[in-house]
Amino acid sequence: MNVEMNYITQIEGHGKIHFEVKDGKLDVRMEVHEGARLFENFLRGRRYDEVAAMSSRICGVCPLPHNYAATQAIENAMGIQVSEQTKMLRRLGIAGQALQSHGLHLYVLAFPEYLNADGIVDVYMRNPEAVKRALRIRNAGNVVVEIVSGRAVHPVSSIPGGFARIPTKTEMKRVVKELKAVLNDCIETCTLAGSLKYPDFERKTEYSAIDDGVHFPAYDGMIVSSEGVRAKAEEYRKYTNEVYRPYSNTKFSTRNGHGFFVGAIARVNLFKDRLSPKARELAEQFKFPSYNPFYNLIAQAVELVHYAEEGLEIATELSKTIKDEKVEKVVRAGTGVGVVEAPRGTLFHEYTVDANGIVREANIITPTAQNVQNIEEDLYALLSKNMNKPREELVRLTEALLRAYDPCFSCSTH
Amino acid sequence: MAKPKVALFDLTDCEGCEVEIVNSKYIDRVLEGVEFVHFRLGQRTNRWENFDVAFIEGSVITNHEVELVKAIREHSKYVVALGSCACFGGIAGLNNFTDVNEGKRYVYGKEGEKIDVIPVKPLGEIIKVDVMIRGCPITRDDFDKVVSDLLMGKIPREHTRPVCMDCKSKGNSCLLLKGIPCAGPVTYGGCGAPCPSSNMPCDGCRGPLETPEMSAELELLKKMASQDDIVRLFRKYAANAQFFKEVGGGKQ
Repeated sequence: MNVEMNYITQIEGHGKIHFEVKDGKLDVRMEVHEGARLFENFLRGRRYDEVAAMSSRICGVCPLPHNYAATQAIENAMGIQVSEQTKMLRRLGIAGQALQSHGLHLYVLAFPEYLNADGIVDVYMRNPEAVKRALRIRNAGNVVVEIVSGRAVHPVSSIPGGFARIPTKTEMKRVVKELKAVLNDCIETCTLAGSLKYPDFERKTEYSAIDDGVHFPAYDGMIVSSEGVRAKAEEYRKYTNEVYRPYSNTKFSTRNGHGFFVGAIARVNLFKDRLSPKARELAEQFKFPSYNPFYNLIAQAVELVHYAEEGLEIATELSKTIKDEKVEKVVRAGTGVGVVEAPRGTLFHEYTVDANGIVREANIITPTAQNVQNIEEDLYALLSKNMNKPREELVRLTEALLRAYDPCFSCSTH
Repeated sequence: MAKPKVALFDLTDCEGCEVEIVNSKYIDRVLEGVEFVHFRLGQRTNRWENFDVAFIEGSVITNHEVELVKAIREHSKYVVALGSCACFGGIAGLNNFTDVNEGKRYVYGKEGEKIDVIPVKPLGEIIKVDVMIRGCPITRDDFDKVVSDLLMGKIPREHTRPVCMDCKSKGNSCLLLKGIPCAGPVTYGGCGAPCPSSNMPCDGCRGPLETPEMSAELELLKKMASQDDIVRLFRKYAANAQFFKEVGGGKQ
């Protein structure tokens, strides 16, 4: 058997999967053929205050984490400290981005196949309320990101040291109102995600996320994993080990020679006890930690509830306390790493800046780039287990697994 | 009446313009009012037949994509370039100003030289484009207007309003007057000026006006910015557009 899946629908970006059984041996390849935009190439020579906005163009589904990771990397390169208010706003922005991204992924890309629908239009015709719920969740996320960062797609106001424009108390009250209004939709998404029938499959792997010591993973922290990793973000290369394989424009990451999993399931598996109250209750109900990669979808739904509740808490406080802060312009030479949790998992940006503030070196490792090795390993295990099934069934399972990871090949190739 | 047949293709890009379509106020009417015959991001079954309107999002950066857009043109009554990647080559077009082979080695190592990356051109230089929806990303309002115009058989007209008009209507104070280099006076407006409204300069993402006053703009910029910074300002999301290329394509 030799199967080439060259046109995979309902995923972000362009990827192919090839699997083959030869002499009783299974071979699986995740081939990402998204065009190589070479961001690290053209970011060299740019000014330090341009990279946040420019690198957010890596992804239109999750631009904000790129924006913040780049800003944080430049701050670390120049030794700039940010205020507690800035960190709160950034955590709020990340919560808003998660609502936008998970809302889109779950309803538009992932759920249709479990509802026996061909796509989002089909779902809409049969169950308009489900699509309207998705749009309400996304809209709340849009409002949060617009208010915190100036625009729903490709944020504009993040600058090294803070924000070029600080939202007003009235705007924070609007965020509170929007998030309150959408919380029930997030809970209902959990109910829906929990009611779908996922393939019966488990494979325990290494789950990795960041830890700031206090919060559920979002903004900044140490690299931690289910296998006992506890390392500073600056050591990220040791825990990603990116290599190029000629069949894919996305490089592959491994840890101790094997794949690892970043994203919603990793965060919920590792930090269930830091979820907001309602989200924690739901995570208990769905029996996390889970080793079924398809449960990444339920984990995303649980996170919708968490980020809505956490966002609500931050915005409520800021609606009383937020104040203008002047950002001092600092330009110093140095190298810095920025790390945040994007909707799809841990995201690293690293820049070396010269004394004039010009970027000389750039390196970006996205969540999906970290996941592709684990995707291949899971596909291998899933296909091995189901080899007796007909070809169409194997293709269906393969696509479903890939979607469950919520890959972003625009990001992973960049 | 049969529903208009619409196709939505994404080339190499971030898919942020498709995300803005989902954000449209009238997305429910779009879902009800047209038939998506090709929409990879949104459905499993996609067909190649004659499209009334084909939206093309993204930059043409591989040889495969050159062939793809030619095929789309042959199948389509109207082709809409969706976003500044399609309209002007977008951010991937910045590789045109670098040594791409060195860039591939920098990102991928020596073996990466084989990766297919061609010089990026605006879509309109490869196939005929009927309508441009500009911006990085597009605005939902522009999308709504273009769709309603096309569905009525009307080709939307381009206007001649710079971003400055958006700033005026927002009540923003002028960044240029504060000595901050801004591309607003020569950039195609209608975006609502999200950047200046956040105290950040316009970086020209919607490309140049039909007849931008480039020399007046450059004269002004020279008073507050280095030549390198002026080049960088126009070397962003529409760097391969006419007028901007003459500045942004220049030596730093």
